[in-house]
Amino acid sequence: MKPIVLSAVVAALLHITPVVVLVKRTDAVTRLLPGADAFAAREVHLSEADAHRLHETVDWSPEDGVLTFYIGRRGGAVVGTLEFQRVDTPHGPIEVAVGFGQDGAIRGVEVTKATAETRHWVQETLAAGLTSHYQGLKAGDPPGAAAHIRARVGALPFYMAEQVDKAVVRALAVYRLFYR
Amino acid sequence: MLYDLQRADVRVKWLVTCLLATFGVAYAFGAWMVALYAGFTPHSVARTYATPEMTMPMPPERTMVTERDVRLKDFAEETPHTVDRELLVQDTHVHLPMYGVIAAALSAVVLGLTVSQRTGLALITLLFAAPWLDFAGMWLTKLVAPGFAVVTLVGGWAMGLGYTIVAGVALWQMWGPPAKGVHA
Repeated sequence: MKPIVLSAVVAALLHITPVVVLVKRTDAVTRLLPGADAFAAREVHLSEADAHRLHETVDWSPEDGVLTFYIGRRGGAVVGTLEFQRVDTPHGPIEVAVGFGQDGAIRGVEVTKATAETRHWVQETLAAGLTSHYQGLKAGDPPGAAAHIRARVGALPFYMAEQVDKAVVRALAVYRLFYR
Repeated sequence: MLYDLQRADVRVKWLVTCLLATFGVAYAFGAWMVALYAGFTPHSVARTYATPEMTMPMPPERTMVTERDVRLKDFAEETPHTVDRELLVQDTHVHLPMYGVIAAALSAVVLGLTVSQRTGLALITLLFAAPWLDFAGMWLTKLVAPGFAVVTLVGGWAMGLGYTIVAGVALWQMWGPPAKGVHA
C-alpha cells in the first residue's frame, strides 16, 4: 500500500516538462568547434545598462545576467566560438547550440535539447533541413530559416522552427554585442 | 442525495473506476517524472525553482568578463533541471487549469460518496487546495525564498492524499461488501 500511496502523492509535480537530449553537448561541441583541443568558458557579467541594451535588441536577456561563450582553440589559435541558447515555449524549453567560425559567421547550429512533446516536431524541422539555412550568417543577417521550410512541414514543426530562429537571433546579437 | 455511488448503476460505477484508474496511472508516471526532474526533497525542489539571482550579487556597474578553462568532458556534466520565471509562467498557465479539471472530476466522485457533509466539504477543499499550494510553493520559492519549496512538497503530498482517500473510499463503497440497506 505504501508505494501506491507514495506514487499517488508525489504525482503533485506532474507539470514538470521532461527534457529530452537530442544531441549530447559534447557531440555538439566536437561538431561546431572542429579540431579544437582546448576550451575556455568566457563569462560576460552584464551591467544593468548592457542587459537593458540586449533586451531592447532581441526582447530577451539572461535571467542570471551572465552570457557564456565557449571558445575552442587548437595550438593556442582560436578555431571558433559556441553559445548555448535556451528558448522557452508553451510546450517546454529547447536548447540550441550555435557555433561561430573565426570570421564571425555561423559555422553550424544544433538543437541539443527539446521535450518529450516537442521532440518529434523539432526532428521534422531538422529532417527538412532547417539548420543548413543558418550556415554563413553573420551578425545583422535575419535568420529566417523557418520560412525556407514552411512548405515542407506542419504547423507545429514550423512553430518550433521559429523558436530555433529566435535562438539564432539571440546568439547573433549576443555575439555582435558582447564577444570580444 | 440522489447521486450515490453505492447505489449507482453498474455503468456509473465502472465509469468512476476507469476514471480513478486512469488518474492513478497518470499520477504514478507523474511521480516517476518528478523523480527524474525535480526530486522529492526541499533542497532539490528549491534547486529546480529558486531564481539564481537570489544568490547572485547585484549586476556590476560595468560589464565584466571572466574566462576559465574547461575540458570537453565538463560539457557532459549533468546540469540540474531548472525552471526559470518564463517557464513557470507557462507551466502555471498550461497546467493549473488541468489540475482544476482533475480536482473537479475527483470532487464529482466525492459527491457520490456516503460521507458526512463536513467530510465531503473537507475532501473537496483538499482536492482544490493541493494544486494551489503546489504552485504557490513554486512561485514563493522563486520570488521570495528557497525555503518555500516545502510548500510545494506539502501541495504534492496533499494532492496524492486527496486522490488516495477519494479512490480508496469510492472503490470500497462501489465494489466492497454492500452497506446495510444497500442491495448489490
